[in-house]
Amino acid sequence: MASEVHPPKIQIENLDFSYADEQAKPLNILDQLSLSVFDREFLTIVGASGCGKSTLLNIIAGLLPPGSGKVYIDGREIQRPGPDRTMVFQDDAVFPWYTVYQNVEYGLKISKVPNPTRDQQVKHVLDLVGLTGCDDMYPRQLSGGMRKRVDVARAIVTRPEVLLMDEPFAALDVLTKQHLQEQFLKIWNDNRITVIFVTHDLEEALYLADRVVVMSSHPGRIARIVSVPFERPREKDVKTTLEFQTLRRELSYVLDANFSD
Amino acid sequence: MDAHNLIPERTRFYHSSSFKKIIVPVILIVLWIVVSQLKLVRPIFVPPPEAIWKAFLGMYKLLPRAILTTVSMTLTGFGIGVAFGTISGLAMAYNKTIRDLLGTIFDLTRPVPVFALIPLFILWFGIGRSPQIALIALGTSVVLGVTTLEAIRNVPNIFVRAALTLGADRQKIYTSIIVPYIVPHLVGAIRVAAAASWGLGVAAEFMGSQAGLGYLIILQQTYLRTAGIILLVVIYSILAVIMDLIIARIERHITRWTERRASIGVVASIVGSA
Repeated sequence: MASEVHPPKIQIENLDFSYADEQAKPLNILDQLSLSVFDREFLTIVGASGCGKSTLLNIIAGLLPPGSGKVYIDGREIQRPGPDRTMVFQDDAVFPWYTVYQNVEYGLKISKVPNPTRDQQVKHVLDLVGLTGCDDMYPRQLSGGMRKRVDVARAIVTRPEVLLMDEPFAALDVLTKQHLQEQFLKIWNDNRITVIFVTHDLEEALYLADRVVVMSSHPGRIARIVSVPFERPREKDVKTTLEFQTLRRELSYVLDANFSD
Repeated sequence: MDAHNLIPERTRFYHSSSFKKIIVPVILIVLWIVVSQLKLVRPIFVPPPEAIWKAFLGMYKLLPRAILTTVSMTLTGFGIGVAFGTISGLAMAYNKTIRDLLGTIFDLTRPVPVFALIPLFILWFGIGRSPQIALIALGTSVVLGVTTLEAIRNVPNIFVRAALTLGADRQKIYTSIIVPYIVPHLVGAIRVAAAASWGLGVAAEFMGSQAGLGYLIILQQTYLRTAGIILLVVIYSILAVIMDLIIARIERHITRWTERRASIGVVASIVGSA
């Protein structure tokens, strides 16, 4: 379990965000949202589509500026993207003109990590995600699940402070998704870093997280935060236990109650 | 049981793709021979095949030098144009100041029919290779500049976002994301520009050169030697085809990573890559 005694890794204070739609009417996406994310915890954010959870993640990543309010990492204000907060997206972001190896190496080269350390790290991470031997393949030769694993490998090899994941497994089929969830959880269990994972899948959120944040939509606010009581390492069978399903049902009521169109 | 298997191989040739590819040119050549043998048209308009051969015999000593002149002129202009156009496009996308400064010139130059500038260029650069090279360079760079700019605008922004979160700055993004992405998108424009360069080069040579294939064509025309003109046009076409094949070869190598290479089966037949 993450410690709540240390200062939060990520601190969000009174965050507002809106943009003007086609008719120039301001749409309030996030409304006075405040949240603390603790060091090395696995936090998931669940909400219906359009509730602003992706926007929130993009603001933490520095890809969007906050409307008003502030976001901090380790006490420093976040103003732009950086390698301390890497991100795995829902869509395929693997660079098609680079091989698997070159993709994973990308962040390390930018941080000017020299060989042979760089080579060791790349090979190690490829092994972690189960892609050893695929070094020289191009993304178009890989399946969707394999490309997603390259995405994850690329995002974790640089040992970021925070790993942001925006519905990373949503575009995959159910079997691949489950497999990747288990694989990723195992990797995380052995190498704990702070993860903020956004999803619309309640089961996924509960299976992976230490804490689950349920968001309401229009505007986006935090409806409920729940601590997940299950032990780690999480068995995949935990999903079918009564306790899990009860908790899931409870949260789905919260989601329904806060869903608006 | 499939009826197809009962038909002997010989007859099926008439349906094959290779047959369909050569049948039209073969028919045209046969028509040509028939027309000239039967003297259906005056030889000044349609010279018989023998005349072409005779023209070749009369000209072949001049050909190597002329080909060299024309090819070097065209390739120089084309090379300068591609380089200048691509670099301008990249610079304009990278830097707003450059975009504002250069953009207007590009927008104003683009609609001008480049052929119309030939007499002006001759006045400026004199008779010789400079106006031709300048012309081809100008025409090519405008096309490449616009295409580059458009290709950069269409870079899927997820790649840029991913690069940003991995710590890349603007310059790194341009060299490691934008340039590799747009290369396959520029190839189409480059092939078209290459073909156009030949056309521009010929036109420029017509206007005032003292050497090269275009000059030879004008000479032939002056003496009403149709056969000679046809021969030279064929040589031009062969040169253009060779250049296109070389570009296609390079393209295949550079675009190894794109979806195009992966199209097989039904998809390939629909999009025309098979």
